[in-house]
Amino acid sequence: MAMTEPILDIENLSISFFTRAGEIPAVMDFSCTVMPGEAMGLVGESGCGKSTVALGIMRDLGRNGRIVGGTIRFRGRDMSEMSEAELRQIRGSAISMVYQEPMASLNPAMRVGQQLMEVPIIHEGIDVGSARARALEMLESVRLPDPQRVMDAYPHQLSGGQQQRIVIAMALLSNPALLLMDEPTTALDVTVEAGIVELVKDLGKSFGTSMLFISHNLGLILETCDRITVMYSGEAVETGTVGDIFDDMRHPYTQGLFRSIPLPSADKTARPLIAIPGQLPLPHERPPGCNFGPRCAHFESGLCDQGKLPMRTPRGLDGHETRCARTDDIDWSAALVGEHTGEPIAPGETVLQVEKLKKYYRVAANEIFGGTETRSVKANEDVSLEAREAETVAIVGESGCGKSTLARVLLGLETLTDGKVLLGNREIGTVEIGQRDTETVSSIQMVFQNPFDTLNPSHTVGGQIVRSLEKFGVGTSQAERRQVMLELLDLVKLPREFERRMPRQLSGGQKQRIGIARAFAGRPKLVVADEPVSALDVSVQAAVTELLVDIQRSSRTTMLFISHDLSIVRYLSDRIVVMYLGHVVEQGTTEQVFAPPYHPYTEALLSAVPIADTSVLKKRIVLEGDIPSAMNPPPGCPFQTRCPRKHLVADGRCEREMPPLRTVGDGHIIKCHLADEHLEAMEPVISLAS
Amino acid sequence: MEPLGFLDIWAGVIGRFWPVWLGLALIMGSSAVFKRRLGLYGRLYDSNVGMIGLGIVLFWVLTALFPEIIATFDPIEQFAAIKRKPPGTIETSTGIPAYFGGDNLGRDLFSRMVHGAQFVLTVAPAATLVAYMVGISLGLPAGYFGGAMDAVLTFIANLVLAFPVILLFYLLVTPGVRETAIPNVMSGIFFAFPIFFFTVLFYSRYATRPRVLAVQLAATAAIGAWLYAGLVFDSDPFGLIRLEPNELNIFAAVVFASSPGVFRIVRGLTMDIKTRDYVAAAQTRGERAWYIMLWEILPNARGPLIVDLCLRIGYTTILLGTLGFFGLGLAPESPDWGSMINQTRGFIRIAPTIVLPQTIALAMLVLGLNLLADGLREQSLRD
Repeated sequence: MAMTEPILDIENLSISFFTRAGEIPAVMDFSCTVMPGEAMGLVGESGCGKSTVALGIMRDLGRNGRIVGGTIRFRGRDMSEMSEAELRQIRGSAISMVYQEPMASLNPAMRVGQQLMEVPIIHEGIDVGSARARALEMLESVRLPDPQRVMDAYPHQLSGGQQQRIVIAMALLSNPALLLMDEPTTALDVTVEAGIVELVKDLGKSFGTSMLFISHNLGLILETCDRITVMYSGEAVETGTVGDIFDDMRHPYTQGLFRSIPLPSADKTARPLIAIPGQLPLPHERPPGCNFGPRCAHFESGLCDQGKLPMRTPRGLDGHETRCARTDDIDWSAALVGEHTGEPIAPGETVLQVEKLKKYYRVAANEIFGGTETRSVKANEDVSLEAREAETVAIVGESGCGKSTLARVLLGLETLTDGKVLLGNREIGTVEIGQRDTETVSSIQMVFQNPFDTLNPSHTVGGQIVRSLEKFGVGTSQAERRQVMLELLDLVKLPREFERRMPRQLSGGQKQRIGIARAFAGRPKLVVADEPVSALDVSVQAAVTELLVDIQRSSRTTMLFISHDLSIVRYLSDRIVVMYLGHVVEQGTTEQVFAPPYHPYTEALLSAVPIADTSVLKKRIVLEGDIPSAMNPPPGCPFQTRCPRKHLVADGRCEREMPPLRTVGDGHIIKCHLADEHLEAMEPVISLAS
Repeated sequence: MEPLGFLDIWAGVIGRFWPVWLGLALIMGSSAVFKRRLGLYGRLYDSNVGMIGLGIVLFWVLTALFPEIIATFDPIEQFAAIKRKPPGTIETSTGIPAYFGGDNLGRDLFSRMVHGAQFVLTVAPAATLVAYMVGISLGLPAGYFGGAMDAVLTFIANLVLAFPVILLFYLLVTPGVRETAIPNVMSGIFFAFPIFFFTVLFYSRYATRPRVLAVQLAATAAIGAWLYAGLVFDSDPFGLIRLEPNELNIFAAVVFASSPGVFRIVRGLTMDIKTRDYVAAAQTRGERAWYIMLWEILPNARGPLIVDLCLRIGYTTILLGTLGFFGLGLAPESPDWGSMINQTRGFIRIAPTIVLPQTIALAMLVLGLNLLADGLREQSLRD
């Protein structure tokens, strides 16, 4: 039967890279099939080999990579038997690929239209006129506004979301039978991502394209895919339909992943996240038998560490396969037991008070030869918030909302343009870091986002912490500071030997722990954490998050947690401040913000965050367009250009007047023109199916 | 006497270089054994290009260290018997062969080539290092602070770079200029940069630990004052360090010509590195600007800077050759490669090999430096 023949059939694929250190197996014994019109999700943490699989399908492994075993069949034909010319014909026409970074996939020197038209001209040899028509049509079907204008634009003139839509359009122009998407939305903001996800979901329906969707985000896979393969350390460990995997997982790694992501059911005091212990093994240090063995709670020596484990079907679950030797012995319905359940912490006195903070940046050209024209970026327009002792306040918003600028002002890297920032009762907003005294400096510290950038690669880990202690005035001698540094290493649960390590010898999670140790070195009153876990792998995220919460709780430090990820925010924070384009549009306790009434932006943000839980029902709200530039903000309400509820406010008031801050509940503030009845009529975005 | 044959010449030359071979074997052998512990330098031994480059550079460095042992004659003594004679001619009064023949005045080319290495390999690296100090001391703040200071410094650097180098040297390295105070003032300014650099380097880090700081500052001041006295004022109390006025003039001119290039590289790297989170982390713990520049930014710019240093020593070698060729600033009889090329080039028809030793030596050293830079770049980019 032609219908049941898979588009892509990968059997026992093994890929190795050959380096100076010898052969490094990147993918081992990987099998999967993609049926026509089906979306297969490939999920795993960094280094698990998921991108290598995609490159292997494209036969684009570079000079060092080689397929050392197994077959890849595309429409029934073994790809290893195809000639280079045949492969070239297939690449970009029958199989297309969409990469993570849209700007890297587009040629910056060519107009978008030309790049799009190239595809049918090269692969089908059609004339320029019909190619242009095809390209226009495709731009419309990826829902780009004003396709004519986009055709004549250069890639840098478009936003990230628009660029990614163009990359997808380009991939679809050749009517591919198979679309490989490698983290297509990771570089985008959540509300923009939601639009792309919506688009990708419809692709299967309207074009009948099969898809291999590679992602580290389980929520995203749930929203886009029919079937899913979970990879760990170069192997597929579990495969099945999305429902099977999400609700009846049969591999301890998959289970560990689900337990370490902040689902709506998790809670930092009652049901904390459970991190997977240990680390991903290095490719040349994989254990015998099950790769996950050393990190697995169900490990049984003699069974799990013997030979190569095959994929097997668990008892009573057809079409579901797992690479676990004990899958039938484990009680999969056993309840999660959190390692610790702490008491909720009562917040103390107000530590930080921000009042009507305003920060404009002047943008000028060359200092000497520049013209007289100066423009200003209005990064923070009107920000007021308060944080009390031992409280976690989340600042939520997408890129360009001004959350990082706020952090820079608090830390003294910038001084404010107008307004007031009080730490305790001291004004700090106008005092630059160089002018701050040691006590103020050590009482506000920051945990940075990128673990690979937060430590200086040229100094030892211990040296960097000792230097912080020196600057914070902790201890009187080097020996004393070294002692404190060793205790800090204990605090962040790292071995004391790390003192002498260089940052490059540490994993991302370990570096982030050092970053936390450094921030807490001077017993700060306030720690600003700028997306501290977003760059880490899921299983590591949980451990670092828990560590941060533990230290914060025991030291009663106030934490400003900056993030765009509402799942983790819901899990961690006591209060939430939602920012958009330099304005605070909503603030309140976590419960208040997650329940109606919402600001329309909060509503869209909540709906956009992918949640990896099949029992969660979400209302779909996809925002049109992109975040306006802070250099040229729209008149009236900052959100009016994208607001789906704007029509509910009479005579275009949103476009003329800045909405007032309204109190809609005890301490729950919303900046919106919507009438009370509309606010009250809002339904919850996230609800649990009973 | 019968001149030496081709094989005899090379056997003799290779034999004369015995201290070099011994040194090469010791250095490269021991480095290759411990290469895993030697960082980037050790990794050079994994790259053929890098190893060949390093070998050539070390060859000339060792030659420059032992010219008296290697050379057969005094480099400026003239012998009528070997005047414009082909390689292998025996000098009759001493019975020693002139391996590469004699030049237009009857001086032994082999000995002159060997002695010529000393001049190039002292002035080129030293001048480049001083240029680096100048470039780093100015490039770091320009890149870090930006603004008006950056604009002014960049403008000056561009001004110097826009001026043709040879014309610049015709202006700077002439006897007329040498008699004025200009070379001394210039070198006085340039040699102040290393002292400034090390003082700030130590002070910014160890200000809170006065005892460590005192030792370092005292050492910097003592060594700095000694070099300064010897080089700028020609009054080294120990008589160890001195430069001829013409050499000082060349030195200052070379530093002047190559520091703008270093400035631009350092400025660019600084602008890139200052956006990293670890710089922000240093700022948020209240570090001063110079600490951040010298201890947070500079160490992370070292990869590209080391590569550039090798290339730049190569350029400077070429520049010195050019100066010698035009007879700028060097004593007429001095055995530097550039002067030798100029003096012998008129006699190619009489003795075709007469220009080869110095030309090949110059090209070989520059090639070695370039290969070394390639190897370093290749290895620093790997994993």
